[in-house]
Amino acid sequence: MSPLHFSFYSAFTFSSLGLAFHRTHLISALLCLESMMLSMFIPLSIWPVENQTPSFALVPILMLAFSACETGTGLAMLVASARTHGSDHLHNLNLLQC
Amino acid sequence: MNPHAKLICTVSLIMGTSITISSNHWILAWTGLEINTLAIIPLISKSHHPRAIEATIKYFLTQSTASALILFSSMTNAWSTGQWDITQLNHPTSCLMLTMAIAIKLGLVPFHFWFPEVLQGSSLITALLLSTLMKLPPITLLLLTSQSLNTTLLTLLAISSTLIGGWMGLNQTQTRKILAFSSISHLGWMIMIISYNPQLTILTFILYTIMTSTVFLSLAQIKVLKLSTLLISWTKTPMLNATVMLTLLSLAGLPPLTGFMPKWLIIQELTKQEMTPMATIITMLSLLSLFFYLRLAYHSTITLPPNSSNHMKLWRTNKTLNTPTAILTALSTTLLPLSPLIITML
Repeated sequence: MSPLHFSFYSAFTFSSLGLAFHRTHLISALLCLESMMLSMFIPLSIWPVENQTPSFALVPILMLAFSACETGTGLAMLVASARTHGSDHLHNLNLLQC
Repeated sequence: MNPHAKLICTVSLIMGTSITISSNHWILAWTGLEINTLAIIPLISKSHHPRAIEATIKYFLTQSTASALILFSSMTNAWSTGQWDITQLNHPTSCLMLTMAIAIKLGLVPFHFWFPEVLQGSSLITALLLSTLMKLPPITLLLLTSQSLNTTLLTLLAISSTLIGGWMGLNQTQTRKILAFSSISHLGWMIMIISYNPQLTILTFILYTIMTSTVFLSLAQIKVLKLSTLLISWTKTPMLNATVMLTLLSLAGLPPLTGFMPKWLIIQELTKQEMTPMATIITMLSLLSLFFYLRLAYHSTITLPPNSSNHMKLWRTNKTLNTPTAILTALSTTLLPLSPLIITML
């Protein structure tokens, strides 16, 4: 695997590990989600340059648009959790236990 | 909910599902999945109850992670093979990551923890949408890539899903959680057969959708959220309690009802593929879920007249005619004699 691919791989992996092991705040989970999307944006931007396919050039924009929508939704959920549970602490989300 | 917002959400759900199931390119498939996630979030959280908000947050986090993993697995495959075709996913790491991502999306074990809680926090109709419509795009992606996926991993996921779905449903009293665990075990059956005969996965999914829709719509009509309500709900619509019993037994997979068809055909196919121990194991494990289906069926009919209980009965509803529920009930109990036709048409 080339060093470039390795760096993209490890960026995504560390972000997803950060998402899996978030402990206190919902906002840190949302930040890790954003960084996962960012670590996928850069390879997608390099792809049309590397493969000389200009038809693919709009795909990173599309991906960024959808991930921005998703982040907006995540922030709306953060505000909603602050309204209903009082904070964004994850150990407050325990109303639905088995 | 505001009718305009509801319309936008419903149309976006249908559009997102259509985009994913008709796409050949991974980016378009990911787009459809994202549209689906974004569209169902307002539907889950519309009541603004703390439980609904909590369910929405859990749903959002898991589904976004899974979508990002799907996109990353397709990107890894594109680095090594140079193309983004969904059916040509050949890189082994990509296949592994895709299987895990779809397991998160569907709620297969060991990524099932969000599913009962999200169903519990949403209304019955939204729970129906979450169990049936939102499962269709991930299953489609799995069907398209099923040739290159690791069979051992899929079998492991399937058997553990049936085990956990059956075992954890035993201690539940909330009907939405019971239906969540039933959904997990049915998904286990679907994933079991996907690498041997994908047509059977499609059949199982269609029949599971029909039966689950029947149960959810019937329960929504009598507004049953827990087992104790089911005991006293016969005053609302006595016929519905009898048909709920039949539909639940059909979900359990008892002949001569429809639910027996997918299980029978899957066991037959597994035996043909020399996987008889697996067939035995998965059949035995579905006995666990039979127990809680029987308990639900028992509760819905045991207090029908002339046996009654001393509980305060529920008042009658105005609306007694519900055509979709009636059609789906007929389909979910009487389709077994048509199985030669259905197998030929697959």
